[in-house]
Amino acid sequence: MCDALTLSSAASKPQKIARPERRQARAGMALFAPALILLVVILIFPVTVAALLSFTDYTLGRPGISWVGLRNYVDIFSGSSYRKMIVATVLYVLIVVPVSVFLGLGAALLIRSLKVGQSFYKTVYFLPVMASLLAMAIVWEFALHPTLGIVNRTLAMGCGTPVEWWSWFAHGCTEGFPLWLGDRDYALYTLAFIGIWQSFGFNMVLYLAGLTSVPSDLYGAASMDGVKRGWERFRLVTWPMLGPTTVFVVTITTIRSFQVFDTVEALTHGGPAKSTYVMIYAIYQKGIAQNLVGLGAALTVLFLALVMLINVAQRRFIERKVHYQ
Amino acid sequence: MATIQFQDIRKSFGDTEVLKGVGLNIADGEFLSLVGPSGCGKSTLLRILAGLESQTSGSVRIGGIPVDGLHAADRDLAMVFQSYALYPHLTVAENIAVPLTMRRLSPAQRLPVIGRAFPGSAAMRAEISTIVRDAADMLDIGHLLERKPGQLSGGQRQRVAVGRALVRDPAAFLLDEPLSNLDAKMRVHMRTEIAQLNRSLGATFVYVTHDQAEAMTMSDRIAVMMGGELLQVGTPDALYDFPNDIRVAQFIGSPAINILPVETDAGGAIHLCDRRTGLRAGGPPVEHLGVRPEALAPCDDDELLSGRVRLIENLGSDLFVQLDVPGVPLPVTLRLPPSERGKVKVGDLMHLRAAEGRICGFDVAGKAASVATLKRVASHV
Repeated sequence: MCDALTLSSAASKPQKIARPERRQARAGMALFAPALILLVVILIFPVTVAALLSFTDYTLGRPGISWVGLRNYVDIFSGSSYRKMIVATVLYVLIVVPVSVFLGLGAALLIRSLKVGQSFYKTVYFLPVMASLLAMAIVWEFALHPTLGIVNRTLAMGCGTPVEWWSWFAHGCTEGFPLWLGDRDYALYTLAFIGIWQSFGFNMVLYLAGLTSVPSDLYGAASMDGVKRGWERFRLVTWPMLGPTTVFVVTITTIRSFQVFDTVEALTHGGPAKSTYVMIYAIYQKGIAQNLVGLGAALTVLFLALVMLINVAQRRFIERKVHYQ
Repeated sequence: MATIQFQDIRKSFGDTEVLKGVGLNIADGEFLSLVGPSGCGKSTLLRILAGLESQTSGSVRIGGIPVDGLHAADRDLAMVFQSYALYPHLTVAENIAVPLTMRRLSPAQRLPVIGRAFPGSAAMRAEISTIVRDAADMLDIGHLLERKPGQLSGGQRQRVAVGRALVRDPAAFLLDEPLSNLDAKMRVHMRTEIAQLNRSLGATFVYVTHDQAEAMTMSDRIAVMMGGELLQVGTPDALYDFPNDIRVAQFIGSPAINILPVETDAGGAIHLCDRRTGLRAGGPPVEHLGVRPEALAPCDDDELLSGRVRLIENLGSDLFVQLDVPGVPLPVTLRLPPSERGKVKVGDLMHLRAAEGRICGFDVAGKAASVATLKRVASHV
């Protein structure tokens, strides 16, 4: 009996050792546990908390908290600034994304065609990306100052010259050039301009990286196949081969444009007449400046949902078409 | 169909001279292989012929007409690339059609979507798709026309690349190591197919490869390139039997030719390791002898050389025996018929003689030097 027991335990031991995949699985779990914990603690947990807070009237410092259901969302959609917020955000994204993507592509193609001075132009175009946008915003504020700024002073120098046949310009000469950041018809476009100025260098770098991965044999094949003009070569080889890069660039630029905040905060504070009242600025205004955490959280959830929706759509409909496997 | 002539082509990248003045006339309908080790400049030469790169000096004529400075698209050549260079976003049919759409449709007719509305576009597109289908059927890829290159095997991609080249009926085909990305079996198969294509189309083929077996099996003539120079141009037989340079001798043939370091005395007699070989130099002193493995045969007494068996390779159809021979740094390889299987053992001492007229001599510069059999010379005297 006793012998049999020891025998069976001896027999069960090697059985355990004979299953290395189980040990590997355990080791694997131990190894990925830190990543999983971090993922939950710093990503999933805060988002969940924000989602929960969006159904409450929580404000920082007040002891009580009560469940208000969908009231925050109703407030957002019935509020007067809601429409302006969506218009400003979407308009900003719709201007910045295409322009900065195509400028980035154009700059990358031009730089690639250079024989000397490539790194000079790369550095120059990349400077705004490296610089702090808040610091640059101050420079822009000076440059765009209605009377002292270099922009309007330069424009004024054109008065009395043939440029005046342009009616907008002539109007500026008589009535004064726009206030740029202070005019509700110009403020958002001015911010979009700064946004493009700041982000296209980044897109250029991504496109430069993408261009290096285009096999040079394809250009050779295109030449042999009768392609002589640069535009045809671009259409047949460069643009399709940059497909994956373009999807990435558009996605990144879209997300970054949705998140525009620092120029708004530094230059316009959402004004004039809420013409630059973009979403992140609204979240900041409600959730932090006015301490309406519940409302801010609701806006955050909407923002996340919107960005996620756009990303999923991009992945579903475009990404499949640009990876040619 | 056209001849291709080039003269004194030089090409430098910075200080490095890749091509040192090469020239050749390629006949109409000829299959010419440019063969040489990697880095010898053969691909550069092909790209210069194609117009993808410009030569530093020298001239190229296609069909007798100078094409220097002419754009690759205007040279009426087709090229198959080592990487196949298929457009990954286009289907097989669209890939094959590109040379035709680029040449036969106007820029307006080529525009996406609205291009089809231009007059004549529909008829031309229908004609192109008929030609594409015929070419695909000829290459046995008719069932793959709607696939993308990413969904094809290496051999199928290869056929698509060939199809794209031949659909336009060009003056000549340039092929840049087209088989090197295929597995061994496929390579042998495509070898015969490409050679057949050359015969059936009657077009001039310039074929770049580093594989001497491909060059030997497919070509009308082979041009051996090394270090940016053409060492020898000739039929496969001529290159194999009468290499004019020791490097050509070593490059052509598998297993490689046996190179024996020898000495020529004042009287012209050739000595291998202080032993007479029964040979004498016909002209300048001979530094090396080259003997093909199948030109060696066992004999009873020590005629040319003797050595001990080091290794026996049995390929079924052939038996390759490697001998350690004193005074020869590399083992000497000997080919025996399969009937000799089992009769030779490792460690055996073997005496070898060379078949009449199958020994090549090379002088101190590595150039061919005539070798004569001593006995015959003696008998004549």
